[in-house]
Amino acid sequence: MNNFGILRTIAWRNLWRNPKRTLITLIVVTVGLWSILAFSMLLNAWAESSRQNALGLLIGQGQIHAAGYMDDPNIDHLMPPPDGALRDVLDSDGVAHWVARLQLPGVVQSEYKTLPITILGVDPAGEREISLVPDKIVEGRYLNGLDDDAVIIGANLAKRLKTTLGRRIILMSTGADGYLEEYSFDIVGIFDADQGFEDSYVFTGRSLLQEYMGLDDEIAQISFVLPDESGLPAMIDTLKAAAPDLDIRDWKQVSVMAAAMNSAMKSIIYIWLGIMIIMMSIGIINTQLMAVFERTQEFGLIRAIGLKPRMVLWLVTLESALLMAVGMVLGVILAVLTYFGFQGGLDLSGFSRAMEAIGSGQVLYPQFAPADFVIYPVLIWVIGVLVALWPAYRAQKISPVEAMRHAT
Amino acid sequence: MMQALVTCRGLTKVFGKGELAVHALDGVDLDIHRGDFATLAGPSGSGKTTLLNMIGALDKPTSGEVTIEGTPLSTMSKAALSELRLEKIGFIFQAYNLIPVLSALENVEFVLQLQHVGAAERRERATAALHEVGLAGMESRRPSAMSGGQQQRIAVARALVSRPSIVLADEPTANLDSTTTAELMELMSRLNRDNGITFVIGTHDPRVMAHSQRHIEMIDGKIESDTND
Repeated sequence: MNNFGILRTIAWRNLWRNPKRTLITLIVVTVGLWSILAFSMLLNAWAESSRQNALGLLIGQGQIHAAGYMDDPNIDHLMPPPDGALRDVLDSDGVAHWVARLQLPGVVQSEYKTLPITILGVDPAGEREISLVPDKIVEGRYLNGLDDDAVIIGANLAKRLKTTLGRRIILMSTGADGYLEEYSFDIVGIFDADQGFEDSYVFTGRSLLQEYMGLDDEIAQISFVLPDESGLPAMIDTLKAAAPDLDIRDWKQVSVMAAAMNSAMKSIIYIWLGIMIIMMSIGIINTQLMAVFERTQEFGLIRAIGLKPRMVLWLVTLESALLMAVGMVLGVILAVLTYFGFQGGLDLSGFSRAMEAIGSGQVLYPQFAPADFVIYPVLIWVIGVLVALWPAYRAQKISPVEAMRHAT
Repeated sequence: MMQALVTCRGLTKVFGKGELAVHALDGVDLDIHRGDFATLAGPSGSGKTTLLNMIGALDKPTSGEVTIEGTPLSTMSKAALSELRLEKIGFIFQAYNLIPVLSALENVEFVLQLQHVGAAERRERATAALHEVGLAGMESRRPSAMSGGQQQRIAVARALVSRPSIVLADEPTANLDSTTTAELMELMSRLNRDNGITFVIGTHDPRVMAHSQRHIEMIDGKIESDTND
């Protein structure tokens, strides 16, 4: 055994000289790491659920518009249905599903109220492949076909309009000729999504809307999903090459809100990480300073025997490193057990309103990110060892003569 | 005449400043020779511990010089002084003599480990040292499970196991009863007699002085008498 070996033995045994103090610090470190990893898994689950919800309702993984539509989404910025090279790419194996929509700003009117909304003319068969809306019908039915002369609206919009299933509403928008067009529709279905979505969209058959607006077959947007989302950047490039004049964006560019939510989740994790690191640092410094203070005579003795000052620094640092390492291992084990415990999903249906408000599904599936299970423990361990250098430095400065004078 | 193992020349040590200054050592000249079994006696505050600290390279004098085997200590760095203590000096203190988390054997081995002695030799020498001081069979006990006398024996074994040039003991019997004191002094006398180990023992215990071959008396930081002179 070299010097390091004997220091390791002494360090390890010293940790257990005051088991209560060591255990308290160990609990802080273990629970701290566990909470970071568990919180990270849960927030990632929430972020992913919110993202899937937002993307699944309407956005898809990417969208194609005519140039200028995103800045001014009206009837002047439409595009023809996809053909040629663009159609070939959309119909290829690289794209799982795509749908074409006519989306126009408009107004909805009931007997009691008039509200601004977005009118969506959709292909009901295609939407069933790509959108969650058909599955969210809570009253009545979804649309039947491209020329279905009916609308479905959100539950909250129906409430605000003081209307119900089976009643008629009037949709108004500017037609191709620049004049206001208005038509009345039967409400055949009510859907339930998040409140913002329910208030914003009214769905009808695409061909019918095109006809009412005086259009031929122009559309406002194509939404698509891929069989594997990791291929998205490459697919965006392929689509841009196939249709250089169109505005082709991935979901982050389409919905800045969804992207911002996603990065906000990361920020919350980092803030929590910071708080935990501060708490653990205080715990480590406190434990080690107390230990150093109590062992002044002992440090004096080993310095007198011939241990170099640097080795005393190592000894105390090693104790902190061991304590942190044990805490990291326990924290990771606890977090892994938590992951497997909730692998089948964390059912939060009891908080369904709150979950809806934050745009999340009612069952969260913890997201296991292996990198987090390495990066966070290593980061915390390194910081823990660094802050422990201060008590270690204090121990190193103890003079053997002063220490032994206290002893006698 | 043979070169002294330790020489102290014009040693002074002043604690504090101005009117509060205390002259713990006031011009001490002393030679310790190989094989000496010397007691350093005197009332409290006479400078015994301060002088032992100077000889043991634990503290630096305000003026004057200590040399060990011809090497002056004043020019050495802290790390070099640690090395010197490790290789040439054995210490026995009044209390806090042992590392509480290590067993008797590990405490003795500790010094050898710092000297990078191989595992097998280390174990053999440490075991032999514990046998030498009468602690055979107690190798695996922790200090807290042993009596004060047994703990001091471990300290003696640890001080000797590194084969130092000199063993310095400061009030080694202060916490021991008379029987244990007699046993410990007999042990140190035998090691001096049989193995030629040099001891300097700071004490004001007459039972300890009774064993010494050389008696140095200190008063007010000065050597009042030395039976070698």
